[in-house]
Amino acid sequence: MDSQIKQLHQQLVNKEISCTTLVQERLELLKKNAYNTVNSLLEDSALALAAKVDAKIANGEEIGLLEGIPFGIKDVYMVQGTYTTASSDILKNYKSAYTATAIQKLLDAGAIPLVKENCDSFGHGSSSENTIFGAVKNAINPELVAGGSSGGSAVNVAKDYTVFSIGGDTGGSIRQPAGYNNIYGLKPTYGRISRYGIMAYASSTDCVGPLAKTIEDIRIVLNVMSGKDGKDQTTIASTEISEQAISNNNTIKTVGYFKNFIENEAIDPKIKADFLASIEKIKATGIEVKELDFFKSDTLVSTYYTIAMAETASNLSRLDGTNYGNRIEGENLKDTYSITRSENFSEESKRRIVGGNQVLSQGFSDEIYLKGLALRDQISANFEKDFKEVDIIISPVTPNTPPKIGDSLKDPLAMYLSDAYTVGFSLGQLPTLTVPQGTATGLQITGAKNKEQTLLKFANFLKETI
Amino acid sequence: MSKIMTVDVLSSIKGAQPSETVNKLFDVIKNAQPTNNNSSNNVNYNCVSLNDLREDVVIESPALEKQIIIENFPKEKNGYLVVSKVIED
Repeated sequence: MDSQIKQLHQQLVNKEISCTTLVQERLELLKKNAYNTVNSLLEDSALALAAKVDAKIANGEEIGLLEGIPFGIKDVYMVQGTYTTASSDILKNYKSAYTATAIQKLLDAGAIPLVKENCDSFGHGSSSENTIFGAVKNAINPELVAGGSSGGSAVNVAKDYTVFSIGGDTGGSIRQPAGYNNIYGLKPTYGRISRYGIMAYASSTDCVGPLAKTIEDIRIVLNVMSGKDGKDQTTIASTEISEQAISNNNTIKTVGYFKNFIENEAIDPKIKADFLASIEKIKATGIEVKELDFFKSDTLVSTYYTIAMAETASNLSRLDGTNYGNRIEGENLKDTYSITRSENFSEESKRRIVGGNQVLSQGFSDEIYLKGLALRDQISANFEKDFKEVDIIISPVTPNTPPKIGDSLKDPLAMYLSDAYTVGFSLGQLPTLTVPQGTATGLQITGAKNKEQTLLKFANFLKETI
Repeated sequence: MSKIMTVDVLSSIKGAQPSETVNKLFDVIKNAQPTNNNSSNNVNYNCVSLNDLREDVVIESPALEKQIIIENFPKEKNGYLVVSKVIED
């Protein structure tokens, strides 16, 4: 099976390339890049780790599959001693005191982090323009946005600056930039990978996940990061997925799609036509395809943003400049809080914090927030019903192609609505994978909870089919 | 506690006002008709069983972690970490 990780591993073992050269080459590409993907480079630590791998190989010691493989990290993950800015002014000089569990597992496996990657500030955005480091440019057409919020991670993978990158997905932040840059991006089942050490946006949907160019690399990285963690008590046990288990499709018999996603005025006609053509190709293989009913896009988007804003208002209330962050002194403590927060949060982050406090406040919580939670239950129950009828749900990743840089900032409502196809699966806490096929921004394949193996298997099947 | 708290106070953001764009999203929820208005959270179980709680132990932070926490503190004077003046109102 195609795998950049395996290919590089073999080259290292065969001494066709040294790890130091590999890391140096990628660091040079990152330094020179004009796509604004880099918040900070981890040059010294990366080269020191590479030298250790080279020494092991020179001594004839065996190295692990991920040992010496360069990767990128969205700048919302704690990695001890590195700047962890969340692309924000308030944390632009903040250094992680500890390391996130998911990243620690990759470090333990020997992978080498090269870069903390640009993203929308605190994950607040779908275009990677809400950042103090400059808008991330799309890997295919630099006049367009990279998508977001894990835009820097997607572009680094698409341009081969990193072999894989670790993004974060709350409402589509891995899947949508993966689609916009034509790579694979997985949002696993909620809880499969520990959230310990990721800067919290909306804790009930935040997920850690990999972006890569091959299905096999997604599988390898997913296996390493998965597992229960005492530091995140929402984590769940999972079983390792073998290469063999996803190599041929002998179990997926029925696929569904939401007809209201497709029979909708908001969808680009070409994306619609390409999606329906993909459905026909799947049908031609003998798989049964069912049309499914689902909630309207505006209900999904509004439910998601109601809950996400409420949770982010709560999570970001800790950022007040007292213990860390860019404190701006006022006349007293309360004044210091409000000046620090007013001056340091972006307009988009402020919009979400204020929206969250609005729905949580007395008089509004019943008619908006609690109703949002009830709608979420119904959305999740709907998925449970659907997965009794189908093995996989397939959908476009986005209704439209990437906008030009600058357009999303002018029209936040359009940006929120562009998440219409990704947010529902987040609310359902389901595993969802973007594959770079089928439409200009890819296809999204979703399974029932803990069915990552089925997704990867179906992705392999689509690779041969579409 | 009877004081009305406006969103700028709740958010600790000077002059903050509700956004018209965001209100449009909330209007969709206000007008939605869920079959049951009470969330029972009967689909997504994320709570931990009492039998599965982690041990309540004190873990000493490593020296490097403590050092970075101190480095991150915004203000220091004569070896003390300085917070803003606290007032009560």
